[in-house]
Amino acid sequence: MARSKNSKKEMRTTSRKRTAQRKGTKIADPSQLALTYSKYYEGKVQIIPKVPVTSLNDFSIWYTPGVAAVSLEVAKNPDLSFEYTNRWNMLCILTDGSRVLGLGDIGPEASLPVMEGKALIYKYLGGVDAVPVPVSAHGPEEMIRFATQIEPAFGAIHLEDIASPKCFQILDSLREKLTIPVWHDDQQGTAGVILAGLLNSLYLTERKLKDSRIVLLGAGAANIAAARLVISAGLPAGQLVLVDSKGILNPERQDMDQLMLQNKWKYELALKTNDEKLAGDLDVAVKGADALIAASKPGPDVIAPSTLKKMNKDSILFALSNPVPEIWPKDAREAGVRIVATGRSDFPNQVNNSLIFPSVIRGVLDVRSKAIPDEAIISAAQELADFSKRGHTLDDEHILPTMMDREIYPLVASAVGEKCIQLGIARKSMTQRQLRERARVVIEQSQKTIAKLQASKLIAPMSGVRLDAK
Amino acid sequence: MSKKSSIESTNESARRQKADEGRKKPGVIIREIKRGEEESAGELIGRLKRLNGEFDPLLKTSSNLEAEARSSIKSAMSNKDSVVLVAVQEEIDKVVGVVKADLIDRVFYEPRKEGAIVEFYILPEFRRGDLGNKLLASMVDALKAKGAVLITAEFPSQNEIAKKFYTKLGFRSLTNVYAKSY
Repeated sequence: MARSKNSKKEMRTTSRKRTAQRKGTKIADPSQLALTYSKYYEGKVQIIPKVPVTSLNDFSIWYTPGVAAVSLEVAKNPDLSFEYTNRWNMLCILTDGSRVLGLGDIGPEASLPVMEGKALIYKYLGGVDAVPVPVSAHGPEEMIRFATQIEPAFGAIHLEDIASPKCFQILDSLREKLTIPVWHDDQQGTAGVILAGLLNSLYLTERKLKDSRIVLLGAGAANIAAARLVISAGLPAGQLVLVDSKGILNPERQDMDQLMLQNKWKYELALKTNDEKLAGDLDVAVKGADALIAASKPGPDVIAPSTLKKMNKDSILFALSNPVPEIWPKDAREAGVRIVATGRSDFPNQVNNSLIFPSVIRGVLDVRSKAIPDEAIISAAQELADFSKRGHTLDDEHILPTMMDREIYPLVASAVGEKCIQLGIARKSMTQRQLRERARVVIEQSQKTIAKLQASKLIAPMSGVRLDAK
Repeated sequence: MSKKSSIESTNESARRQKADEGRKKPGVIIREIKRGEEESAGELIGRLKRLNGEFDPLLKTSSNLEAEARSSIKSAMSNKDSVVLVAVQEEIDKVVGVVKADLIDRVFYEPRKEGAIVEFYILPEFRRGDLGNKLLASMVDALKAKGAVLITAEFPSQNEIAKKFYTKLGFRSLTNVYAKSY
């Protein structure tokens, strides 16, 4: 079988390694490169003007005295800040640095390189002007207060790398309070792309979401959000079973009262999932399950092949832990799993937030939305899934588009924008065609600007940097 | 550090219980505890104590919690001044809630007969119907039948859920217990 042979090869060598081997070059360590280049470029993003400045006289338009007239207009109607200023395209990347990557609570300053990276991806893939804002905040209330105070400057807020369970409280509270969209990538981003991958996996295996039995391993931010989203998308909650380090989540567990006080999101799921009232370990949970979505702890021995053999025929496994999935894809397939996805780019089926967050934010910004409801995230997931169905590759090893499929960004953005308009939470109305065109132009302009700056060497080429420079 | 809430019992609880009859959660009945249910009721008391432990380090549970909980239920069952009621899921005869109260003679005050609710626990999945109200109403009636005209309930000061529950039913804070460890 060509498929398994191919994937075995993929497992042995990453694509980067293969390219390097072909060229006969030595593989550079990304960590070393990041250290060298970050120091050389002194940061990854900057602010540049978007209005012409031909002489100092122009400042009387862009600044005082001219600007006062604009301020007076906005004072009459604060929503005009989305028309007269760049607020419509400004995103605050907000973090307290309490759960950065897999590194834990390393503090706001240490989170800055990551937030800058996110801002760079936003600018490149979504044309979004994202500002990294790591804050020294103690407890969720301080984060909530800060976000509320900074709302007037931004068109949307992106929460990043905030520890669970406080991230749930912060997101839920801000979604309720603010009149701009609030997005927590580790929850909605991951959940959105999981849903997209799941929809296509179910389609390929001729199943319907509403009739499926799905098990989630791990009950952190990603899986709690995924559970909430797949339920919103139509999976009856009782057909979902969550498993964490203490076993199957059910309402009789001894830690229920503790959860009620400390993690009400997990508590709620314990009450409404698992209709069969299963108790025990993962082996019990997966019996007769169609899909297993693991976002638990780095593998490769977190899920045993014997566990996977207990699942239904044509089973689906998302092993999303990084850097090492809960089980190697090869072993999962040997255990009979039909569709395997991971969080990594060097295996087939990467479940990658970057497929979704730049376009969701692009979409809500373009219509000046007041929120990102679950319906909009489901629209984004559906659009992402449909893209693969519409004449693009869709098979067991290609359940999702990749970041190389650039067309998906304006498509997903317009799907999100359209849903916000439908729900009556958009400040600006456009047709679907206008939405798509708008998103395409904004994203293209951003990429063209970056290309121009590189062509003119205002952004210096990386090849000019000595790798041994310290 | 724990608080006592109280209410003078009136016809209110009887009326409430009557109203509650109509919307009883199917399959769950409330009755006096029976022999053989000490174990399962004790397990729920154990859960209650662990929940209390979440509120204050001075309520950290002891290592022999389960055994103590069982024996406290047992001794209450043979004490005429104690009442233990259970909520039982009928079909499977499973104890899903428990409430325990003691009759106290308040020698310095009037009214003298106090029914003090000291344990009250319902399994999470049975909480959102009306079972809490019904279990309490049944206990109020049982205590009234034993002559109590003042009903009190004690719970950790930090337990906002309990505070809300009793306040809604007309209870108010009566005495405060302050604690300091040396």
